[in-house]
Amino acid sequence: MRPNFFHHIHPPSIPARQSRWRYTLGAGGTAVFLVLVLIITGSLEMFYYIPTTREAATSIQTIAYLVPFGGFVRNLHFWAAQLLVVVCAVHLVRVVFTGAYAAPRRFNYLLGLALFVLAILLDFTGYVLRWDTGIHWALVVGTNLLKTIPLLGNTLYVLLIGGQPAAVLEPALSQATLTRFYAWHLVGLMLPAAFLMGWHAFRVRRDGGIALPPASLRTDNQRITRFELVRREVLAMLLSASALILISIFAPAPIGAPIKEIANLSGEARAPWFFLWVQQMLKWGDPFVWGILVPLIVLAVLALIPYVFPKPAENELGRWFPKSNRLAQVVLALIALLVIALTLFGSLAAS
Amino acid sequence: MRKLIVLASGFLLLALALAGWMNSRQPQALAVIPSMTGQPEYCLTCHADLPEISSSHPLKIFGCVLCHGGERLALDADLAHSSMRGGKNPSDLAVVEQSCGGGKCHSGTATDNLDHIQRVMTSIQSTYAGAIANIRFTFGAQPDLTARFSIQVVTDNQVTTKTGLPSLKAFNPAQEANPLIQKFGQECLTCHINATPRDGMQFARLTGCAACHTPALNSFAKGQVHHLTTVISYSQCNTCHNRGNYDLRSMSFVERSDQLTDRLHDYYQPIAQFTRCEYTLDCVDCHTRSEAMGDGDLHSSKKDIQYIQCKTCHGTLTELPQTHTITEADRLAFKLAFLNPVVQLKVGDTVLLTEKGEPLWNTRVLADGTYEMIGKVTNQKFNFRPVKGTTCKQKVDQQGSQYCHQCHSVQR
Repeated sequence: MRPNFFHHIHPPSIPARQSRWRYTLGAGGTAVFLVLVLIITGSLEMFYYIPTTREAATSIQTIAYLVPFGGFVRNLHFWAAQLLVVVCAVHLVRVVFTGAYAAPRRFNYLLGLALFVLAILLDFTGYVLRWDTGIHWALVVGTNLLKTIPLLGNTLYVLLIGGQPAAVLEPALSQATLTRFYAWHLVGLMLPAAFLMGWHAFRVRRDGGIALPPASLRTDNQRITRFELVRREVLAMLLSASALILISIFAPAPIGAPIKEIANLSGEARAPWFFLWVQQMLKWGDPFVWGILVPLIVLAVLALIPYVFPKPAENELGRWFPKSNRLAQVVLALIALLVIALTLFGSLAAS
Repeated sequence: MRKLIVLASGFLLLALALAGWMNSRQPQALAVIPSMTGQPEYCLTCHADLPEISSSHPLKIFGCVLCHGGERLALDADLAHSSMRGGKNPSDLAVVEQSCGGGKCHSGTATDNLDHIQRVMTSIQSTYAGAIANIRFTFGAQPDLTARFSIQVVTDNQVTTKTGLPSLKAFNPAQEANPLIQKFGQECLTCHINATPRDGMQFARLTGCAACHTPALNSFAKGQVHHLTTVISYSQCNTCHNRGNYDLRSMSFVERSDQLTDRLHDYYQPIAQFTRCEYTLDCVDCHTRSEAMGDGDLHSSKKDIQYIQCKTCHGTLTELPQTHTITEADRLAFKLAFLNPVVQLKVGDTVLLTEKGEPLWNTRVLADGTYEMIGKVTNQKFNFRPVKGTTCKQKVDQQGSQYCHQCHSVQR
């Protein structure tokens, strides 16, 4: 068979052992698929969404209730976004727990980490675009966190959020804010994300494809063809698409009444689920320390894993839980457990 | 692998078909674009069976959201109802200004007769100032009967009558020294028009404007609440009035225990004295809008606002009742007659006139010197005579109803 376009964007063959589900978890490929779903459904939503403080929430009601299949498309967009964050996290865990970030893949690990951060920021900006009572509290608290940064806080706030924190010219969190979030969501975060996705994929190929021991140390030299690989990806795509559709049918995306007055906090005091762990930490004290510094330290620790932690041994590559980088696995596991525990506490405390 | 792909494709198609089927099961969205807002609202998708609230508030002009609030586009009940004003009753006094007011409707000046909300907010039916003042005076908390407190804090910037007060503070029973006044606050504040009524069908009414304008009799039991009317039967007034007595010793309300059989036995309590016209007519046949809804001033007692007497229609031994010939300038009379068309009011009709100079638009002066009143609720014609020229033994300075009751009260 002559390889078509879709075959050609894959390597001619890849090692059989490392292309199994139980090794990759299919996380990277699923993330790409979810991004495609997000671009398509997001474009459809743009036909109806109006990014003004007056009409944002009502235009979302129009999408959710009145546009044919609008609610379905919106649910797909919502669930694809939430799943993307989960799938990115799974991908990160897989890469660390298999030591796959070992040189020469260290830089690509950083690209992946940046994409994870972008996915979370895209999720948050998309969440804010609802501009309804459901996001009101998180918007105010989340944006106020920026102001707590010493020296830079207010400048960053005006730059990223718009409006004047001191409400001299324009009240904080006004139309300027919604316009900023709209621009961040559609362009400011999407463009870098698209660029980094391309770079990330390119580096996977450039760095020699999926991580595995050097030829001299390999025990298993079996490989599968790109035809088989594409078939597996198609199967994964069909199954994730079906799952996404089923979730979207039975679990509608959250929606709320429009924010009437931005100064009067309305709705529930609750961060979106992916920031519940930060919300929970904010209860412990200084908002700058717990809301910004600690999450940044967590990110820094994750970024340093390929550079300062004991390196995975070459002969242990391409399989789960190599002994050589145990410390990195333990640190990531601890971070993950803490984040999950804080998220659970946060959701119990809020409900 | 290929079989798996075929299977997964089938699964995907099934999921898509399910999405299509679920979508087709959604109710067909039903829009109305009321001319006052020009914005589509989809409430009728679920509420198509609701009757229009009144002919003065046509759906095509008002829609639902203008009065009720709510999310006009949402087809999910929880979201659609989440921002409604006053829950099911937008006329509750807490939200009435937004629901029924606005510059164009029931909130305006006395000269254009659009000051309904201002009058109701200051009326004794809302402030309950008379009862509070009486109780506080009786138990020594204030030296006279002038009202100081109201259910809510309320001010009046334009005092127009002699008994009008500039402002009333909010009555707070917890701040009262006398335990009986405290108990009064707990037990006896169920009758002002924004209070939640006592339990029982005989007390069933809504709050705010709807306390009077949404008829409860027979309709609440049938679930018909979506109705506003100026045809207000005595039974609506009786959800607060004539329902029992306050026992000042125990400071509790003692419900009347007699069975409500017919109009004669139901209208007033057994101890009450009343004449035939007082139970054959409805309250609104005699008591005017400013008596019932207030005159815009804050008063200390209902005596300050009641002015309709027997002589308003019957005159005295020496004088006939005042009459008035309708001209085009009587716009309010025409408006009221239009809202409750029991009579065809025309320019040139001669009608009776109140002490304040308001035409009683549902009366007529007949050619033979007698008078006629058409019941605003019953549509019944009542023919009656003036006192002048009869053998009535009334004294000119004794015009209170108790004097008339000495001869004319009904036995039941």
